[in-house]
Amino acid sequence: MEKDETLDCKGLMCPMPIVKLAKKMKEMQVGKVVELISDDPGSKEDVPAWAQRTGNEVVEMKQDGKIFTFYVKKKQA
Amino acid sequence: MAEAKKVTKVAIVVSEGTFDKAMESLMIANTAASMGMEVHIFHTFFGLKLVTKTANPKAPGMYRLFTGMFKKKMAAVGVEGYPAQKKMALELGVKMYACSTSMGVMGVKQEDLDEGVIVLGAAGFLNIAADTDMQYFIG
Repeated sequence: MEKDETLDCKGLMCPMPIVKLAKKMKEMQVGKVVELISDDPGSKEDVPAWAQRTGNEVVEMKQDGKIFTFYVKKKQA
Repeated sequence: MAEAKKVTKVAIVVSEGTFDKAMESLMIANTAASMGMEVHIFHTFFGLKLVTKTANPKAPGMYRLFTGMFKKKMAAVGVEGYPAQKKMALELGVKMYACSTSMGVMGVKQEDLDEGVIVLGAAGFLNIAADTDMQYFIG
């Protein structure tokens, strides 16, 4: 999966991955993709919920054991 | 892609000043603000102390002794203590309000409050809360 930025949130728990994702997306341009890595089990629901609510898109989600990797595309300015 | 939505508004009332209530209010507030929501928090009764410059909430009752342990465990998962959460909230544009009656009763002055905190009464906050989509009471 192509990405423009990486946000490693391993070790962080709710709400930090979401707060960091929102901050990162604010700095990014529309159309860019951030790779978010998280081991917070809540992220599985939280990241898609954040994207739905803010009008952005989770292009892909992978799970490897306890590690979730999301590719989130910025769609809203 | 989600259709364009109006800004979702959240009202939170905090009536306790203990560490757990303080953290709950700001973890919800900071998440909501990160989701693009507009957040208003009314601090009343013992919650008022949370918007003073010297706020340093402790865990409730006998758990008070374990405040340091709670803080350490939360910091270990990236959730900083209350002053850091409050700074983040203000940076994210969360609006904080202090109950004027509680200020009178508890002897808290305007200059004791954090920068940006708005002083109002119940009517003033209800007027704001009436136009919100979600309301939380933390007490």
